[in-house]
Amino acid sequence: MAKILVVDDSSTVRDEVAGFLTKNGLDVATAIDGKEGLAKLRTDSNIRLIVSDVNMPNMDGLTMVEKIRGELANKTVNVIMLTTESSPAMKERGKAAGVKGWIVKPFKGDAVLETFRKLAG
Amino acid sequence: MNLSKPVSKVLVLDDSPAHAEALKLFFDEHNLIALKVRDSRRLSAVLSTSIDLGGVLLADDYGGSLDEAAAAAARINTLRPELPVILRLSGNTPPEQLPHALKNAACASFDAANMSALCAAVDQYIFSLDFPNALVRGIAEITEARLATLFDGVTVRRDAPSVVRDRIIFGEVFSLIPLEGTWCRGYMLMQAQEDPLLAMIERDRAARRSGANGASGTSGVSGPGAAEAGFRDLNNLLGELTNLIWGAFKDRFLGPQSAREASQVQVPLLVNHKHRYISFGSDNPQLRFQYLLHDETSGQSVAIDQRFVFNLSWSPEDFSENTLDVDDLVESGELDLF
Repeated sequence: MAKILVVDDSSTVRDEVAGFLTKNGLDVATAIDGKEGLAKLRTDSNIRLIVSDVNMPNMDGLTMVEKIRGELANKTVNVIMLTTESSPAMKERGKAAGVKGWIVKPFKGDAVLETFRKLAG
Repeated sequence: MNLSKPVSKVLVLDDSPAHAEALKLFFDEHNLIALKVRDSRRLSAVLSTSIDLGGVLLADDYGGSLDEAAAAAARINTLRPELPVILRLSGNTPPEQLPHALKNAACASFDAANMSALCAAVDQYIFSLDFPNALVRGIAEITEARLATLFDGVTVRRDAPSVVRDRIIFGEVFSLIPLEGTWCRGYMLMQAQEDPLLAMIERDRAARRSGANGASGTSGVSGPGAAEAGFRDLNNLLGELTNLIWGAFKDRFLGPQSAREASQVQVPLLVNHKHRYISFGSDNPQLRFQYLLHDETSGQSVAIDQRFVFNLSWSPEDFSENTLDVDDLVESGELDLF
């Protein structure tokens, strides 16, 4: 079954997003930073969509995406950034790294659920 | 009062009725709020419970004598040395003959017949940083919007922003995040009392579990396995709230220029747990906001204390605001697909 990986150093956000997606019938895994997110993606081939924060300790979200596309040579997993960052420069960096979309926090699940389903499908 | 500018609360230790009206007028014209202590025996209690003072106005005849006034000055100097003390000279004693404690405590003095000296002292020692109106207004807007997303059925109220010189910690939990820009460098401090906030988290969880408030996933406190809230839940909530406000502040006021370009001078922060005291290594006044989250159903309220401390760099002449608010371009929570 296709799975969504939620990567955020805040357990409040992880619980909120993961809880919402699970409640809506989606299979979810979580990671606390980019490093763990990368490790989970390496070992779980069911992950089709990653929803990730940008600012995280150990490895930030954009570095994680760059490594997914570079080191892991994974060009297929979709990545959505869920972050407080909203500057055009930051979005451009995300776009160049291979990010599919950008959400400025706070998370409003109902507004994005159908798109998440499609991207995870 | 000029409501577009921050106010400041000043402890008034002056029991002379002859000057009360003039001082009241002066306070109104200069955005000062008087906190009067008519009984000098209550001074220690007031000093130990007030957390939002901008300074002290002390008359040299407070309490009826020079000795009483000197004792009050000594108490202030012991309990709250960070507060600027402005001395009103009664004219009964030549300034050079004032007790050492009075002379030592005062940063400035004035004669009630010449309020321009008081005006200069207030500008120099209380409103020594000129916070741009757009910054003050913007901080309040950003924070109120983020607070409103925390809980269902809660309204957000706000006191007038104020300039404070005290360094007393409010509540039991606080978060601290650096603000690094080209025109300012410092910190944002968010403080709260633990028990009322925990209770609000639990009420919110209970309401969500029972389905009373729907399940839209818009709050920061719902989640799988929600149960009785512990201090870690509170830490996470305050941390995420801080993160949300910081992100919006950065976008609106700090611009795209990298903070790395700014000078990386740092100073140690000092926290004294016993005295509930935090120092940022600077005498600069702090910009304070207090928000009240009110739960309409239970009638309970939670106070959130927010402070901005620009201790490392402050150049308001270079202040700029991103008027193209990102919230106007892509509403928060909506997906911007590339």
